[in-house]
Formats: sequence, C-alpha cells, structure tokens
Amino acid sequence: MINSVRQTVLSVLNKNNYGYITPADFNLYAKQAQLEVFDQYMYDYNYQVNKENARQSGTDYANIGRSLAEGIDTFSVTKPLKKTVNSVTANLNNFYLPSVASTGEDYYMINKVLVYSSVASGTNNVLNTKQLIDTSQPSWTAPVSVGDLVVNSTTENFAYVTAVNGPQTLTLTDDIFTNGDPFQNYRVLSGVKVSDRITHDKITTLNASLYTQPSTIFPAHSEANDFLTIFPSTITAYGQVVAQYIRYPKEPRWTYTTLANAEPVFDSTQADFQDFEVPADDEYTLVQKILGYAGMSIREIEVVKFGQGKEQAETLSEK
Amino acid sequence: MAYLSEQGYYENESNWGSYQYVSLEDIVNNFMLMNTGNHSLINNEERYKIIFHAKRAIQELSYDAFKNLKVLELDLTDTLRFILPSDFVNWVRINIYKNGFLFPLTENIQVQSSVSFEQTDETTSGILFDQSGNAVRKDSDIDTDRLAGTKKSIYLNPGNQFHGAEGWCIDGDWYFSYRYGKRYGLNTETANKNPTFEINRSAGVINFGSEASGETVIVEYISDGMEGGSESSMSVNKLFEKYVYAYITYEMLNAKLGVQEYIVARARKEKQALFRNAKIRLSNIDPGKLLMTMRGRDKWLK
Repeated sequence: MINSVRQTVLSVLNKNNYGYITPADFNLYAKQAQLEVFDQYMYDYNYQVNKENARQSGTDYANIGRSLAEGIDTFSVTKPLKKTVNSVTANLNNFYLPSVASTGEDYYMINKVLVYSSVASGTNNVLNTKQLIDTSQPSWTAPVSVGDLVVNSTTENFAYVTAVNGPQTLTLTDDIFTNGDPFQNYRVLSGVKVSDRITHDKITTLNASLYTQPSTIFPAHSEANDFLTIFPSTITAYGQVVAQYIRYPKEPRWTYTTLANAEPVFDSTQADFQDFEVPADDEYTLVQKILGYAGMSIREIEVVKFGQGKEQAETLSEK
Repeated sequence: MAYLSEQGYYENESNWGSYQYVSLEDIVNNFMLMNTGNHSLINNEERYKIIFHAKRAIQELSYDAFKNLKVLELDLTDTLRFILPSDFVNWVRINIYKNGFLFPLTENIQVQSSVSFEQTDETTSGILFDQSGNAVRKDSDIDTDRLAGTKKSIYLNPGNQFHGAEGWCIDGDWYFSYRYGKRYGLNTETANKNPTFEINRSAGVINFGSEASGETVIVEYISDGMEGGSESSMSVNKLFEKYVYAYITYEMLNAKLGVQEYIVARARKEKQALFRNAKIRLSNIDPGKLLMTMRGRDKWLK
C-alpha cells in the first residue's frame, strides 16, 4: 500500500507542478499520517459506541463499531511481561510495561493484564523442535492442558501448549528451547485470572480493605514509570503476568535501491522496508494527511487546503 | 470452569454437594461479562467494586436467608467462659450436651459479669489509677460470686418443691434459704432449670452461670459467609444467584453519579423481589408438605 500512497501523493503534487518530496520526507510524513489515523480509531470507536447506545447504529454491514474494533485488534499483542532488574534480584512483584526494550514494541494502551498460576517448573533436558521434554518429570504436579503458557525462564521466550504428549513431553506453538544449551529452565502456567487496574489514590486503601484486598483469584495492579506492580505480592515469577495491549503501528518505510531517470525505484525487498499497517480502507486518509504535510513543506497552502478539505468531507460522510 | 464429571464428583469428598453453590469468582466473572461494558447500565467501573458488593450480598444473605448454621462444641472450664467462634456474627441457640441430650439454654438478660476498678479515698474520683492514667482493675464481686457459685439465682424445676425459689448452685448442688409463704411473679423469660448465659460481645465471650461449670456447651451460630477471607471458598446457593446480581446492580447504580432515579428504583425493586423469591424457594414449600401439615386440622384440641 505504501507505494500506491506515495505515487498518489506525487501525482497530486506534480500535476500542478507544486513540487516534489524526497523518500526521506515521505517516510517522515507517512509516519505522522499513520499515527494520526491510528489515534483517530479510538475516538471513532468511542463515537460509534455512543451512537450504538443511542440506538443510531445498525448491524451487519452497518456495524461501523465492529469494523473499527477489528482494525484496532490488528495491533493487539499478548505477551508475558519481563521482571524489572530490581525485581529479579529482590524477587519483587514489579514487571516492566511493554516497550521496545522489554517486549519489542511500545504500547498505546494496555487493555488487560492477565495473571497465571505456575503449575509446573523444571529443566528441559532433551532438544526437540517445538517440544518441551523433561525426562526427570515423573508426572506433572498439576494438570497441564492445551492452551497453557510455557516460558523459557532462561531466554524469556514463550509458547503455548498444543498437545500434552505425556508426563514428560509437551508440544508447543513455538521453538523456545533449541537455542544453544538444551538445559534451560521452564515454567508451565495455567489458570488465568484478570487483574484489575487500580489508580494510585486507591491502591493503598484497596490493599488495606478486608473486602477488596487483591488475591490470586482477583489480582490487581498499579502502574508507575515504566513498570507495573502486581498484587498480591506473591506474584513474582516471569510468565505469571501477561499483558494484552495495543501497540503502536510500525514506522512505515518506502524503500528503493536504484535510480531511473533520477527517480528512485521502489524496492520492497529491502531489509528495512515496512508497509503501512492500517487497513487498506484508510489509504485515502493517508494520502490526504501526507498531502497536508507535503503542502506545508513546500509552502503551498492550496495543497494543505485540498488535503484538509478532503479529510473533512470524509469525516462528515462517515458520521 | 467446566462441569465436573460424575467420577470427579464422587471420588473427591470436597466436591460433594458443590453443585448447589456458585462461587464468588463465578459471580464476579459472570457479572462483569453480562452486566458491565459499553452497552450496559454499568460501565467504566473497576472490578473491586463488584467484588465488594458481591461479598456484601453474601453477608446479607447469611444474616437473613441462609439456613446453614455453624455449630461449635467446647467444654466449659472454671472460668465459665466460652470464647465466641472466630467467624461468629450472631447466635441462634446455645445448648448444654449432657447424657446424650441437648438442653437449650436461656439467655439471662440480667448482667452476669462486670469490669471493676480498685477504689480508694485518696483521690477525687475515688478510683485508683496507674502511672499511665489507666484505672487499676480488679475482679468484680459479681464475677467472683458467679465463679464461686455464691451468686443467688432462681431454681427452676417444675414439679420440684423448690421450683421458683432463690438459691445457690455450688458444684452442681443447689442450696436454699428457709422458705416461707408463697412465691409469685415467676420470670417466664428465664423459666428454665438449666444454666443461663449472657453474651458479652465487646469481650468476645459468653459468660455462663456457675451451674454450667464443666459442662459441654454447643453453640449454634451464623457467620457472614466470608469463610475466613478465603475467596476460593466463598459461594452462594444457586437459588440466590440472580439476587446477588440484582444486589450488585442496585448498589452500583445507587452509588453512581447521574443515574436517573427511576433506573435506581427499578433496580431496587428487582433486588427486593428476587430476595423474597429466593427465600420462598429456600423454604422448600411444596404441596406434599403442606398436605401433611394440614392433616393436623382435624386433630382434637384437649
């Protein structure tokens, strides 16, 4: 989609000889435009929910809210949270929030935090693709079933159980034990519970109340800086805390290798190539927004107005 | 949570009878799923509020509707004191278990125990204080007499010539002063020959009369369903499940700003109706039982 967007933008700009934007500039504008589109999803979704509550929204193809939710869900990620450095040494109940450094991507919003109970742990001692094999395990100490989470405590990779082959072997969704030394510690986790996000002005009283004190059945957490603290404080192991969050879209990158007639030729095979992640139905919006940025860049107010006018017309038609 | 297989049910004692209950966890999860969210009356509320109201609903039901009494047996020592059970909220019946029979006891509304201060003429108030300004305590005369059995009480034993007479019970034997004339004004409230008791809620004990010394006491009481704080053990009978949801809904709407009064009133009415309905359900009234009871209408009164 990114090449199509760029060609359209250049076409509009060149048609009236307004100017030309370089690939580097385009990539910058494309990033901003995509972030704007992405951010608008949440407001649009809220608008649609209000329309539904006012009985002004239809079903089936008229269910705009569901369409928006599906778009947002494409950015949904579910991953175990890593323990903070202090938490590892002191065995505390602090876990890093998702970030490029901890989970691989920044988060826009944490939708829910899940807490698992540890049902088995040990050391994987035989290497086999997508399997956990622990020959020292006579039987699983608690029932292990398909869908349970398995973490490699050494590398902090994770996978889910797809088959229980016996008391010593589990088949997994991913290969998490084949990296080097087979003797890596694992933990099997099951019995998922949802944690309640509590604000700082409530968390102290919540912990002090007999009725609402967090438990393993009803855990709670608060967030501060780049980590969250989970309660009860006995929840300390990696893999026990899993977050489902909406990540930011990846930075779009229009890539090229050669020049033809002084024009860069699009090449999607480059290692750093990244297409837009928003759905194709937003291509129109992306073009308008990029035109707005490009118009500002080349000081052509008409281009800006053109982009803004199109965008407003689209917004009105979608209400 | 999946339903138990028959094997899983019968082979695990802890599962016996569990089907009649729904756990607190299920109640909260079901409520969150069905009654909260974008298109519900209740949205943007934290789960802890629902947990709080669910527990309060279980407590209210435990006080007013449940029939599951708890029973604790302890032997009385010379202190004539029965420490209230750890989950005690209110008592239903207090008995002495003797010779294979349960003898229900009567609550003595008269004071049986008291705090007492050391007194002297050397201070303004006449009360002796320690260095911290606290009154120096001593055993009260009423307690001393009760424990020693020298406190007078009324002997109640219909058919016995001393029935209704004031006397002293010492080591299980009764002693009376010389009787003359007739006695009137029997206090029917305490007309029972068994020992009496008085509940001291602030001290957390039941004080018994001296005649109860060495007896085995069985206390029937109700708790609040909180199971010592173990949320995994908290549950409610399925007959009350709908009521608990209605209770939570009402409490949440009642405490929320900007909810129209007619919505709050509707929630309150539903809650109350479901409570009455659940109590009727739990009373197990059926035509067969009513018929058996009604057969007594032909019985001659003598």
